[in-house]
Amino acid sequence: MPTPMRLNAAAFISPQNHPILVRNFTSVKQDDLKYHYVAHTSLDVIEERLAASSKQNECYLGLLYSMEDLAVYGFVTPMRLRIVIALALSDAVVRDADVVLIFKALHSAYCRSLANPFLRLYTPTDADPATLLTFGGADRFKAFKQHVDEVGKAVTGNTEIKA
Amino acid sequence: MTWWSPLQSACQAEGHQGYEPWWLVPDLVTRNGCHTFMASLKQHKAIGEDLWKGRTDKINAELFALTYGALVVQLIQDYEDYAEVNTQLEKMGYNIGCRIVEDFLARSGLGRCNDFREVGEVVAKVGFKAFLNITPTVTHSAPAAPVPSSRPPSGLNPAASSTSAGTYFTLALDDNPLAEFVELPDEALEGGLWFSNVLCGVLRGALEMIQMQVEVYFISDVLKGDETTEIRVKLVKYLEEEVPVGDD
Repeated sequence: MPTPMRLNAAAFISPQNHPILVRNFTSVKQDDLKYHYVAHTSLDVIEERLAASSKQNECYLGLLYSMEDLAVYGFVTPMRLRIVIALALSDAVVRDADVVLIFKALHSAYCRSLANPFLRLYTPTDADPATLLTFGGADRFKAFKQHVDEVGKAVTGNTEIKA
Repeated sequence: MTWWSPLQSACQAEGHQGYEPWWLVPDLVTRNGCHTFMASLKQHKAIGEDLWKGRTDKINAELFALTYGALVVQLIQDYEDYAEVNTQLEKMGYNIGCRIVEDFLARSGLGRCNDFREVGEVVAKVGFKAFLNITPTVTHSAPAAPVPSSRPPSGLNPAASSTSAGTYFTLALDDNPLAEFVELPDEALEGGLWFSNVLCGVLRGALEMIQMQVEVYFISDVLKGDETTEIRVKLVKYLEEEVPVGDD
């Protein structure tokens, strides 16, 4: 299903506000840092929204803020993991339902990667489950990156996302 | 008089020679399976399907995969040597296989296989289907020159070409429910871990309980980066049937 949205970046942040993965889907390598900043600033907005909203079980936070060429959306999972995506701003109407779909796909990718039993081998036994993917070297979340890339490809229809 | 004597007399009444193993009972009971030992390929598939759909209790696949994964990781933490972990997984599988074959034969009602080739077909199409809901592809070895010592001692006469020692079949698994979420780390790859080695043990244990001594081992595994996951089952020899010691 072709969507008018372009997914520029996705970021996963732990409940303790540690970044787990910040993935830039555009081919502009210099923007890597920019999306780190975007994710960082979204954290404040997320905290605000969570504090303000009385409904504690609301996962999808909607549009957090928009910048020059980006619209940033937020999502908090039931385990309080934060997912932030940056969509390229366009004139076309972006439906909430589509954005929620992207978040659900990213969340599934995360859950699937977390189910790898070997993650337990390289973390201390009482570590927070959300940090399982951050321990160890880069190859610990190679699979996670691949799953997230698949979601990115599916959304943008772009088959040339570079690692 | 022993408990199997009435069975023996029933067998002899039907015209069989010698002692029939107890697991032919389902055929006797149905009274029409006695003379048809060779089920065709389609029948195997149908039996497998029927077993999976009708007569099996099922378990959530994710729970199964996560439990097995936790087991393997715990073994790695305990033994710290991947070769030893492989051995332990195989041992566990052997114990499972010894018990599982009774359940399988009772539910499927299949009789003795004519030759090792048919064993491969039944294992792949009925066995794997009934327990894991997958149907691996079977490829058989070319029949080797028959070796006289490997003739089974019972009254039946299986085809000579596929019963010689060294015959094997290879099972190629398209998807492996045990390794659903698994990504092997570098240490495990270098250490030579066969993640699903329990399956080899199960096959060895099950076939040993029905008088076949086999060697079962992995040839390739997608978790290790190979293209397919393949298990080889090689016949070593048929085992002599022994009357249980102490009875009679």
